[in-house]
Amino acid sequence: MELLCLGLNHETAPVELREKVSIGATRLGEESSALTAHDSISEGLIVSTCNRTEFYLAAPDHQRARTALANHLADRFDLVLNEHFYQKHTREAAVHLCRVVSGLDSMVLGETEIFGQVKKAYAAAHEAGVTGGVLNRLFQRAFSVGKKVRNSTAIQEGQTSVGSVAVDLAEKIFGHLSDSQVMVIGAGEMSRTTAQSLLSRGARSMFVTNRSYDKAVELADAMGGSAIRFDDWEESLSKVDIIISSTGAPHHVIKPDHLEKVRRKRKYRPLLMVDIAVPRDIDPAVGEIDEVYLYDVDSLQSLAAEARDRRQAQIQICDQIIVDELNKSQLPGL
Amino acid sequence: MTERWLIALATTLATIAALNAWRSLTGGYRSRWTGPILTLTFLFQLMALGLRGEMRGSCPLADPGEILLFLSCSLTLFYLLVGPTYRLSLLGLFTAPVVVSLQLTALIPGVIDPNPTLVTSTDPWCESHAALSVLSFGSLALAAVSGCMFLILDRLLKKKKLSGPLFQNLPTIHNLIDSTKRLLLIGIVILTIGIIAGFFTPSIGFNAHLIVALIVWLAYIGLAVVAYTRGLPPHRLAIYSVVFFLISLLAFGLI
Repeated sequence: MELLCLGLNHETAPVELREKVSIGATRLGEESSALTAHDSISEGLIVSTCNRTEFYLAAPDHQRARTALANHLADRFDLVLNEHFYQKHTREAAVHLCRVVSGLDSMVLGETEIFGQVKKAYAAAHEAGVTGGVLNRLFQRAFSVGKKVRNSTAIQEGQTSVGSVAVDLAEKIFGHLSDSQVMVIGAGEMSRTTAQSLLSRGARSMFVTNRSYDKAVELADAMGGSAIRFDDWEESLSKVDIIISSTGAPHHVIKPDHLEKVRRKRKYRPLLMVDIAVPRDIDPAVGEIDEVYLYDVDSLQSLAAEARDRRQAQIQICDQIIVDELNKSQLPGL
Repeated sequence: MTERWLIALATTLATIAALNAWRSLTGGYRSRWTGPILTLTFLFQLMALGLRGEMRGSCPLADPGEILLFLSCSLTLFYLLVGPTYRLSLLGLFTAPVVVSLQLTALIPGVIDPNPTLVTSTDPWCESHAALSVLSFGSLALAAVSGCMFLILDRLLKKKKLSGPLFQNLPTIHNLIDSTKRLLLIGIVILTIGIIAGFFTPSIGFNAHLIVALIVWLAYIGLAVVAYTRGLPPHRLAIYSVVFFLISLLAFGLI
């Protein structure tokens, strides 16, 4: 029995092509079954996420399986196998799967979501009864290798986007965010994304203020928060724990005086201020106040870049673990 | 086995706990042994204090060595109580070296009296005063340790140094402020009872120890009142908790 992997991802194919072959989680079992309807394919499994769709096949002859898959793609997805597809067989396919599961092949290096997505894809194909001796052992091995890679290296350490760095900071200061109140100043896209990340991690409530009150109301509604008029934002300073500022103002919107006025009222509680505006909204002198932790867009971006570099430096170690672990196992089809 | 050997054993164990916590931190894994090793340390500290108590026929708080040993024992006790309750990671890493330094000082020849005088009669107020006062400083010492941890994390956050095992493993700012305040409060309550007991002690006179002890007590009361009512910038709370503890050691020096 031979192992074959054929697929496309964010690096090899544009989104117009990826969306054609994208398969929802509920249809993965059914589509994997359809693969094994071909005589030359014994076992089949499809992994499909927003960044990739991959077909893992076990077949007596990989050339014949490839031809069958090409026909399948043409019939079912109106696609031809072209340069956007990559093909890997036997050991190369196993190494590729381990890299995918470990997050080494992801757009955000080391991300963890892919592990769960591949697990779900495997469960769907397994339930559909279209995996056998080759794919079962391969995927189970890949999951244990993926766990080892994540646990014994720093591949998922740190945050690689501005939004997630801000959320990490908030958690390092406040712990659970369920008791934290957030204020968003300026209803731009960046503040929306960052605020959403904070809410998804449990931030309690949100005030939104913007020069255009209608936009503030719109964002507040979308976030389940409350809008406040731009002239009134100073009054809310005493209530909040996290401020995300992203206005288009050409000058500093928040100055040390604003904070000094409310420090006693706030009982000197820690305050995280995230300034993602350029030019900056928050006077850097605000960061000198004892209980204030001020981060501007440059510091957030450099922290994200540092984390990316640290993850990048781990790739070689991860690849070596994959090779060593595969060498230890006697997988069929390799 | 003499009490010096027991103290030496407890000190060795606390050193192993500190090294083990450091190794876990740099190795990037959670230390499972720091707590159990410090529990063993605590048992040996108790045994040493028990022996000294038998030798004196009273609470073993009559010479600087005994006070240091009692203090490190209180500190270890509060670590064992507070560490798991507040889930403060790395507390062992910061507590163990303090235990080691207190006990190493106690082991310096001459610090602990090798032939303590057996007392014929004891006064319960005096015994309670001494024991509760030193016990309270276990809690206040741990508040200082927690304050130090806050100062380190605060500096890392202000300097935007968010990588490395120390940053990753320190508890949150919120937890550190909270535990510092609570430990201060617990320490002050016990110290207050100890001081009240001191006033009932017949032999106590108006001396330098009493003056320093009262100043320290008033300073701690002031700190707690301000922190709990008006609020205090956390950086200052942490610094005061460390500085007040260091000054309070003077009160012991003046016994």
